[in-house]
Amino acid sequence: MSVVWVQVALAGVWGGLVAVERKAFLQAMMSRPLVASSVMGLLLNDVPSGLAVGLLLELFFLGTANLGAALPENDTLAATATSAAAATMTAASGAGSTPAIWSLAVLLFIGMGRVGRRADRLLEGYTARLARVALASAEAGNLTRAMRQNLWGMWPHFALYGVLTALCALAGFFVEPVLQRLPHLLVRGLAWAWPAMASVAAAIAAQGSHARRAPLYAALGAAAVTVAIVLSLLLERP
Amino acid sequence: MSAAETALPRSVLLRVFLRSLFLQASWNPQGMQNLGLAYAVFPALERLYAAGPAREEAVRRHLVFFNTHPYVAAAIVGGVVFHEERIARGEEAPDRVVAFKAALMGPLAALGDGFFWLSLKPAAGAVGAALVPLLGLWAVPAFLVLYNLVHVLLRVRLYWLGLTLGDRLVEAVARANLPARGARLRTVAAVCAGGLAAWLAVSFGANAGGAHAPLLAAGCLALGVASYVLVSRRVPNYVVLYLAALLACVAGAFL
Repeated sequence: MSVVWVQVALAGVWGGLVAVERKAFLQAMMSRPLVASSVMGLLLNDVPSGLAVGLLLELFFLGTANLGAALPENDTLAATATSAAAATMTAASGAGSTPAIWSLAVLLFIGMGRVGRRADRLLEGYTARLARVALASAEAGNLTRAMRQNLWGMWPHFALYGVLTALCALAGFFVEPVLQRLPHLLVRGLAWAWPAMASVAAAIAAQGSHARRAPLYAALGAAAVTVAIVLSLLLERP
Repeated sequence: MSAAETALPRSVLLRVFLRSLFLQASWNPQGMQNLGLAYAVFPALERLYAAGPAREEAVRRHLVFFNTHPYVAAAIVGGVVFHEERIARGEEAPDRVVAFKAALMGPLAALGDGFFWLSLKPAAGAVGAALVPLLGLWAVPAFLVLYNLVHVLLRVRLYWLGLTLGDRLVEAVARANLPARGARLRTVAAVCAGGLAAWLAVSFGANAGGAHAPLLAAGCLALGVASYVLVSRRVPNYVVLYLAALLACVAGAFL
């Protein structure tokens, strides 16, 4: 096993950038799991893993929202960490990405969302200090210094989440040999776990859509897609 | 600057808008978005008040508690500039801008949370995810365009409404009827999530099932329905996800 440090560094930079975009600047949804994971896959040369992980996590975290002072799980960290680990596992395997890799990455790293929430809470202590400095500077008439405090709030997001994402990318290189040693039957089971988890995530998304009659609309969507697939299969038959 | 100016050039208005994109850069538990708001409107205050006590007082007005939805905050930022221009001209008392912020930040936060966080975001996310099987990686730019077309246009429009209408922006925002549009978007999210669940189940059955394809597809769909029921009954999402993975692992290993 050899660690590709460029991949680890790229994962860290992207993880840091989307962490800043998530809360501190713009919020144009670059930090949503679908985008953050897919771009991570693109950067680490493993688009299928990025898309698969992004799709699943987008659905899993669809209903979460940052309302008022309440802190939701950090879906961005979960996405960047999981997709980075999946991509480095693929790189370490020397073969293409597989559903078993996606499942293992999700099972091991989805919990980073909770780690991210704790980290968000920790960072609030730092921004509270910045606010005190800004108020004191404004009282003293140093307005430029007071205004500058606002921008100082961004770098800890970049640094902390960048490091955490890079660590998960690094961990991927060490997890892959474990996957290689698993019995074939268990690897097959892990491959089956991906569509199962994605179906569960889609159900969670329907529930998290906050629609008034979500079960009815989700059932209609499912029925329409099923009929379309069955019809297309029937038409393809000679 | 020796004398205060009252007509703000477009370059300053643009700077204020661009700086409002950093509204939450130093979100903190005490003042929440107070630093971000003061940072955003500072170029306007610099123009409107000569350096000294008047400018310091104006900045301190905006360092008090402030919290609203980060997108609809653009309307309040515009409104603050509207009021500060009048205060600098002596047409209004400074209390007016403080009252304006205090009156609007709560209702606009509720409106923004309901429309953007709880409707547009889930809808665009579900549509984006549903497009992955059809467009592959292109689903990502499609999602970003879909979301940001609404987000950026509304953000710019709200800023402009605040700048030009001041307190009267409430009526203009009410006319947009965002709650009703949000309800329709949430329906879109539910339909897409259901459709995607079906696609995942059927394609899984076709790829992994061989002769058992219909059985596996039906099992996968049943898993989705059971998950919906469990999550609705407040079983934690993680528990449901890991249970499903465990079930699938066992099935994959022994079937």
